[in-house]
Amino acid sequence: MLFFSYFKELVGKEVTVELKNDLAIRGTLHSVDQYLNIKLENTCVVDQDKYPHMLSVRNCFIRGSVVRYVLLPQDGVDIDILHDATRREARGG
Amino acid sequence: MVLGLYTFADIAADGAPRLEAADGEELVRVDRAAELALGPRALKAPGTLFLTTRRVIWVSDGGEGYAVDFVAVSLHAVSRDPEAYPYPCIYTQIETEASSGEESDVSDSETNGELELSKVTEMRIIPSDPGQLDELFEAFCNCAELNPDPSAESDEEPGWVHGDEGYEDMTDGSDTEFSDVNPIGQTGEQDITHAVIKLQINDQRFEDAEIDEESHINGN
Repeated sequence: MLFFSYFKELVGKEVTVELKNDLAIRGTLHSVDQYLNIKLENTCVVDQDKYPHMLSVRNCFIRGSVVRYVLLPQDGVDIDILHDATRREARGG
Repeated sequence: MVLGLYTFADIAADGAPRLEAADGEELVRVDRAAELALGPRALKAPGTLFLTTRRVIWVSDGGEGYAVDFVAVSLHAVSRDPEAYPYPCIYTQIETEASSGEESDVSDSETNGELELSKVTEMRIIPSDPGQLDELFEAFCNCAELNPDPSAESDEEPGWVHGDEGYEDMTDGSDTEFSDVNPIGQTGEQDITHAVIKLQINDQRFEDAEIDEESHINGN
């Protein structure tokens, strides 16, 4: 539940989602659900030459199970809070 | 869990697909006069799109059918830019058996000009009425949310449940995006000190130093 909770805090911020097929999509996080399915708005593909078909896409729904990384904005991360939260989560507390 | 596109031939006399009703599969949406484009090609035109609670099925007016399970749809989006594709459509990426484990070039779904269904990684659905695109996108979202990975579900086992944090709301399908999960940094009523493990170090180097009467710092 940690990441669901964390991503909810990031709604409205710009993130880059890297998929397991290497496609990377930057966009504004519109919403996230318990399976970490992600909806992005104002999307643009990071490597446009590699994935030209995605160019015209402006909003998308990404299945949680195909996400490899979610790259976060610098100002979107409070390291101390995240550190505490992950420690609690790991101990089941 | 079936990845990739597959042919679909279980069609009743009225043209509707026969679903796995015993498994709880239900029809969610029907779009008549929708074209399908697999990989780089436009496919037969036109046909009927059926969205079920499990998968996307498309049947051409000539009876040729294709389907893909929602667990294999990696992403979907509305595509409106004519430079990317001449017609407004729902663009989807499909996870195939080949792409799930290794790197693969998205454009190699054709061999000798023949389409290899199991290797198709991009699929577009072109409705006859582009005004339907947003609704169709939402329908795809709803159906995708009904199909989490089977392994993802097992993570919800009791071992990971945090009893009193209001997670019971999670199974309410009507509003999966907002729940009572505590935001980061707020523990509510929880006292976390019980979760801090006491460090036990039995190394002599960490013992208090012996106080030697003759070597006080300010001693003589």
